Amino acid sequence: MTALSSKTDFKVADLSLADFGRKEIRLAEHEMPGLMSIREEFAASQPLKGARIMGSLHMTIQTAVLIETLTALGAEVRWVSCNIFSTQDHAAAAVAVGPNGTPEDPQGVPVFAWKGETLEEYWWCTDQALAWPGEDGPNMILDDGGDATLLVHKGTEFEAAGAVPDPTPEDSEEYGVILGLLKRTLGEDPQRWTKVGQSIKGVTEETTTGVHRLYEMTEAGTLLFPAINVNDSVTKSKFDNLYGCRHSLVDGINRATDVMIGGKVAVICGFGDVGKGCAESLRGQGARVIVTEIDPICALQAAMQGYQVATLEDVIGEGDIFITTTGNKDIITADQMARMKHQAIVGNIGHFDNEIDIAGLTKYAGIEKINIKPQVDEWKFPDGHTIIMLSEGRLLNLGNATGHPSFVMSNSFTNQTIAQIELFTKNDEYERKVYVLPKHLDEKVARLHLDALGVKLTTLSEEQAAYIGVPVNGPYKPDHYRY
Amino acid sequence: MPVLRSIRERFARERPFEGLRVGVCLHVTAETGNLARTLIAGGAQVALCAANPLDTQDDVAAALAASDGAVVHAIHGEDMATYYRHIEAVLDTRPQLTMDDGADLVSTLHASRAGALGDVLGGTEETTSGVVRLRALEAAGQLGFPIVAVNDARTKRLFDNRYGTGQSALDGILRATNMLLAGRVVVVFGYGWCGQGIALRAKGAGAQVVVCEVDPVRALEAKLEGYEVLPGVAAAAKADVLITATGNRDVVGGEHYAVMRDGAILCNAGHFDVECDLAALRALSRERRQVRPHVEQHVLADGRRVNLLAEGRVVNLAAAEGNPAAVMDMSFANQALAAEHLAKSAGTLPPRVHGVPAEIDDEVARLTLAALGVEIDALTDAQKSYLTTWEQGT
Repeated sequence: MTALSSKTDFKVADLSLADFGRKEIRLAEHEMPGLMSIREEFAASQPLKGARIMGSLHMTIQTAVLIETLTALGAEVRWVSCNIFSTQDHAAAAVAVGPNGTPEDPQGVPVFAWKGETLEEYWWCTDQALAWPGEDGPNMILDDGGDATLLVHKGTEFEAAGAVPDPTPEDSEEYGVILGLLKRTLGEDPQRWTKVGQSIKGVTEETTTGVHRLYEMTEAGTLLFPAINVNDSVTKSKFDNLYGCRHSLVDGINRATDVMIGGKVAVICGFGDVGKGCAESLRGQGARVIVTEIDPICALQAAMQGYQVATLEDVIGEGDIFITTTGNKDIITADQMARMKHQAIVGNIGHFDNEIDIAGLTKYAGIEKINIKPQVDEWKFPDGHTIIMLSEGRLLNLGNATGHPSFVMSNSFTNQTIAQIELFTKNDEYERKVYVLPKHLDEKVARLHLDALGVKLTTLSEEQAAYIGVPVNGPYKPDHYRY
Repeated sequence: MPVLRSIRERFARERPFEGLRVGVCLHVTAETGNLARTLIAGGAQVALCAANPLDTQDDVAAALAASDGAVVHAIHGEDMATYYRHIEAVLDTRPQLTMDDGADLVSTLHASRAGALGDVLGGTEETTSGVVRLRALEAAGQLGFPIVAVNDARTKRLFDNRYGTGQSALDGILRATNMLLAGRVVVVFGYGWCGQGIALRAKGAGAQVVVCEVDPVRALEAKLEGYEVLPGVAAAAKADVLITATGNRDVVGGEHYAVMRDGAILCNAGHFDVECDLAALRALSRERRQVRPHVEQHVLADGRRVNLLAEGRVVNLAAAEGNPAAVMDMSFANQALAAEHLAKSAGTLPPRVHGVPAEIDDEVARLTLAALGVEIDALTDAQKSYLTTWEQGT
C-alpha cells in the first residue's frame, strides 16, 4: 500500500466518514468474489508492481474495492470520479484514509472526489490525479467515459499546435472549462501532456460512450496508446449495463421522488443493453413501458417483448416518466419538456448529460427552477405546469442513488483488473488500437462469480467437446456469438 | 388429478351417494370423466349431458358410457335442438342431485318440470355465468332447492378461472390460428378472474395487452398492473386479437366491428356465446368462409376481414381442451365435496345460493398442496388466539 505523498495529496468532502466507508467496503468485498479471487491469485506475483494507474471512475464503495485490488497487486493509484454527482463521500474518505490509517493520519491513496463538484472542480480533480509526484505522469489510465483520456489527447494536440483555441458558442460549458484548464497548463509546462501521453502504456475503458470515443480516435489515427474496451466483455455489458441498470434505475427514481411506479406510463428512449434493463425494471414495478428506438433491430426486439414502440413526439403528452439511455445527444428537447404532463419525471441514465437539453431548459423563456432536494429539481413553465428533473440530467442511478450494486460491479471490475494486468505486463503485444479481452478471460470472470450464487456448472465430456470443436475448459463460443 | 383421486378412494369406502341419482351438465372432457367416476365410486347413478354444444370429447363420452355405467347424452358439435334434447334426457332420470355449469340443466328444470323440483336435494353450479342466473332465480323467489356455488370457492375461482382459463384461452387461440402473440395487441374485455388470467398469460407471451372494463375498481387494478385501459371502441381500433371474458352480452358489437383492423381475431372466453354480437357481425359481412377449423372469416363491406373463432363460443373448450387437469382437480374436488355436503344435509339447507363451506375450501387447498409436495407452516396456539383477541395493542 502506497502512503500518500503528503497529508494534503487528496481532496474529499469529509475524512471523518472514513469509518462508515470502511465498514461498507468490508461488506462489499463479500459481494465481489471476482475481485477478491483476483487478489488471492496475484498476491504473490504482484503483476502491477511499477504501474502508476490514474483512475477516472465513479468513486463509490464498489470502486474502492477495485482501487484496493489494484494496490494489492502492486500498483500505485491516483483516483477521481468521472461524474460530478456520483461520488459516495464515505467511500472517498475511506480510500484516502486507507485500511491502516486514521482521519488524523491518512495512509490511503490519493483521491480527489466529492459529491456535488462544480465543473471547474471536476476538471481540477482530474488534473491533480494525472500529475504524478516525481514522475511525468501515470503510466496507465483506467477510464470511464474517456474524460482522462480526452484531457491527455487534447492536451497533446494543443501542445503540438502551440496554442489552445477559445471556446466557440456551440461548445458546451464543460468543454469551455477543459479549454481553460489546458490554456493554463500550456502556460505552466508546454510539454506536460505530450510527456504524459508518451509514458502511458495503455487505457482500459469501462463504458459504451468512452469506447465510442476511443474507436473514433483510432479511425482518425490520433489514439496515443493501446486501449482495452472493457465494456464489450460479455461479462461486463451483458451484466452491468443490463442487470445493473435494472436494479439501480428504480432505486434512483424511488430515492429521488418516492413516486408510485405501478400504473404509470414510462417512456424509455433507447433499447440497448441499458434500455433493456431499464424497461424491464419499470415493467416489473407495474408501469406500462413505451420504447423509442432508431435501430430497427432493437426496435423489433422491444416489440416482440410486448412493448409499444413509438416516436417520442407521439407519446410526449402521455408519459409520466421519461428515461434516456441512448449514449447520444439531444434526445429530449426543452420544447418537448414544455409539452409533458404536469410533474412528469425526466431523467437520464446514459453516461453524459447531453441526452436531455438542460441548457435549453435553463434558457427557456419564463422558466423557473425550484430545488426540491439534492439532485432533484422542479422546473416550472410559464403556463404553470412543471417537470421533475433528476440529477440535472446526469446519470440518475449514481446521482440519486448509489449506482450498481456490488455483485454486478465485481463482474465489470474483475474485467478492468484483468485488462490492466494485460496491458501493463504485455504492453509489447498491443498496438495503438482498441482491443477486447479474449473470450477465455471473459469466461474466467463468469466462473469466478458462480459459487457465490450457488451455480453448479455442467462439464462437457471429451466427446461432447470434440463434437462441437471446443476445448473442455473453453472458450465455448466463437467470437461472433452474441449471447 | 391426485386430489380427486384421493376423494374417490374415500367415497368408495363411505358410499355417500348410495342410491342417489345425480344429473350432471358439465363440459364433457377427460377431467369431467374423472369427476363422474368419483361420483359413481360413491354409489351414484350418473346421467351426463354437455354444457356446451361444441366442447364434448366424444372418446370420453363413449368411455364413460361403456365402462363406468354412466348414462351419457353428449355429442361434439350437436345442434341446439339436440343439445336441449340431451338436457331433457338427463332430467328424465329424475335426478336427486344436480351438477351444473351455466345453469342450463337447473333452469330447464325450473322452467318446464316444476313438479320434479321436490325430488331434488340440491345442486352445485360451476361457473360465474351460471351463478349469476341462479342468484337471479333466488331473487325472484323461485329457486326450488339449495344451490352450492362451487364457482365461489376460493380454490375454484382463484385458480381455475384465472390460471386455467388464462392458459387455455390462449391455447385455444393458438391451436385455432397458429398466430405469433409476441408484439401483437391483445384486447381483453373484462378484468374479472378470467380476464386477469388471460391478460397475464398474453403479457407473458410478449403481447401488448389492453384491458376494457366497466367496473372502476377492476379497471384500476388493471391500470396499476401496468396494462393500458381503454374504452372498448378505442381498444378495438388497435387490436390484433379481441377476447371477451365478461359474463355479459353484446360486449363487442357494431361500433367495434366498424373500427376493427383487417384480419383481427375475435373470440370469447366467457361461458355463453352472447358476449360477441354475432347477429350484428353476420349482418355486416358480405361473405363468410371457413379458412381453418374453428376460424370463420367474415368479410365486411369495405373488404376488412374479421376472423371469428369457435363461433364465438367458449374458445378454450371449443378450440382446445379446456382448462388443464391440475386446476380442474381443485374445481372438481369442490364439486364432489359440495355434492357430498348436499347429500348429507338432505332437506336441511334453505333453497338459496350458498357458498362452499370454508372447511371444504381449505381441505381442497390442503390436499392440493400435499399433492404438489409443498410444505407450509402452521399457526402456533398463541398466534391463533392473537387473531381472535382484542386486548394486545401497541
